[in-house]
Formats: sequence, structure tokens, C-alpha cells
Amino acid sequence: MPKKLDKFKKIKGIKEVQRYGLPLPETIFIFDFEKQEKELNNFLKDREYVAIRSDKENGLDFCPHNLRCPRDKAKKLIKDLISKGFAIILHEQNHIPLGKDQNKVSGNILILKKYMLIELMRGEPLILLNRDGKVDEHIKVDKNNLKEVKHFGERIIKEETLNKILKMVKPIPPYKIVEFTIAPDWLFFWQIRDDKTAKKLEG
Amino acid sequence: MGKLKERIILKGIGASPGKVRGKVKIINFPEEIDEINKTGIIVASFLTPDFLTIIKRSPWVSGIITNKGGLTCHAAIVARELKIPYIAGTAVATKKLKENMIIIIDGEKGIAYA
Repeated sequence: MPKKLDKFKKIKGIKEVQRYGLPLPETIFIFDFEKQEKELNNFLKDREYVAIRSDKENGLDFCPHNLRCPRDKAKKLIKDLISKGFAIILHEQNHIPLGKDQNKVSGNILILKKYMLIELMRGEPLILLNRDGKVDEHIKVDKNNLKEVKHFGERIIKEETLNKILKMVKPIPPYKIVEFTIAPDWLFFWQIRDDKTAKKLEG
Repeated sequence: MGKLKERIILKGIGASPGKVRGKVKIINFPEEIDEINKTGIIVASFLTPDFLTIIKRSPWVSGIITNKGGLTCHAAIVARELKIPYIAGTAVATKKLKENMIIIIDGEKGIAYA
């Protein structure tokens, strides 16, 4: 990864998803509107909506976004955000969970040395879990055998579905939070965040 | 703290370890944190980023309990950074705990004692 990209927290987190071979929805990054306009046009072509997120160097946790932006408004918003110093993360929109979709589960997996801590919610973009505390289910599993050691809240995910996800993220080193959404016919990972404070949870 | 087991008043997710004893301060709006001038345990529905900005500069927050949230929310990460014991996801803290009540919180086990 170029050194400069490393300074964008979210983009670095998305690159980590690719690094660990986890499925990522079709995504491009736009840093320079003029130079990347052709790439942007190609991405927008044949799409009714796109999901626009932004990131800033050495950045803020919260940056402007529009998770369901109509194609004809996307270029203006992207140009405007880039002029204000943001880098753009552009995702295909149809895999972004919006509203209370009972068929989709979004969540975070916090990886520790011996355990994995999973926090889940029905549907909705993960911003509602991360910033607003919407959590429907908490699960703690033993990292070695993936057996549940603690559970709190409603059961919103099947054990075999969760195990499939946990096997995919198990090789990731400790003190990282892996963000994902699963639907009946797809599973995508959004980003991997560092959480050095998680060392305090080793107990 | 051996006998305290009998006086458990609330359980949740231990989101930031540490034990602390203090007075409950129920918080509904971020600016209420700025009005605190004595050490206390703040109790809220949840702590969105507006609350967290103020908590970072307040010297008076010794503990946190919220109805919502968990270990991976921004609020939990900030509490661990600031070494403030925090119990998340209690569902009923703002109803069950009363203003100025003296409680002890264990942020590792996720238990509050009265």
C-alpha cells in the first residue's frame, strides 16, 4: 500500500479486507476528480444508485456520506467533497443494508487472542451500531473451537452461518474489528479497523 | 466486595474494565456533561459522538452505564482509551437507576451494585 493511502483510516481498512481475501462489494476510490473522471463514469454507468462514503487524511471518524445516492447527483457530490479535501469511497449500492431488513444481519467481530466477540443487528448500515449503539445480539466464542462461551440478547443469526463467517476471519491478527453484512445470498465485508484498546478485554 | 453479589442491581456488557464507586448522574443531552462539577457515574440511553467529545474533556466522569451499545461501538472504544469503566447494553439503566444513587460498577463483569 502506498504510504499516503495508509493515512486514510477507512481506505486502509477496506484494503485490509482485500488483503485477507474477504469478499468486498465492487468499490473504487477517487482522490482526484479530473484525473479519475473516466474511471468514475465507468463505475456510474448502468447503475441507478451508488453508495458514497468519504475519508480524510489522518482523519475523522465521521465523514460525509450518502449511502443511496442517485447516479445523476453522484458526480456533483463527489466533486464537492474532493474540493473540500475528502477522498471518496464509492461502493455499488445494492448491498448496502438500509432500513429494518429482516433478511440481512450486519455486525462487528472483535478479534482477541483467545476469543472473538461478535455484535450484531438486523439490517441497517453499520453506522447505527458503531455510533448509535444499536446492538441486537452479543456473542463471545472461543477462537480455537468456535464454541459459544457467552450470549446476550436476541438470536438473530444461525450458528452455522456465524461459524462460516468466523472461519473466514480467524486468521486476522488480534485487536482488529471486522465489519460485515450477510444476506441469504451474499456476504460482504466493509472494512477492518484497528482497536488497540481491545487488549484491555483479554481479562 | 465479597457480599456485594447479593446487591446486584443491573447487568450488561462489560465494555471497559475497572471498578468505581460513585453517584449516578442521569444524562439526556450532551451539554449536561459540561454542567457536572463533581466526580460521578453518568447514565444515559447511549453516548453518540456528541456526548463523547464532551466526555473527553471532562475530568468528572468516573464511570459510564448505557441502555444501548456494546464492546465494538465508538463509545466503548473511547471509554477504554480514557480508562473509564463502562457497562453497555443494560437496556434499563436510565429507568432503574435514580439520580444521586450511590453505586459501584464493575466494567469488566458488566455488573452494577447498589
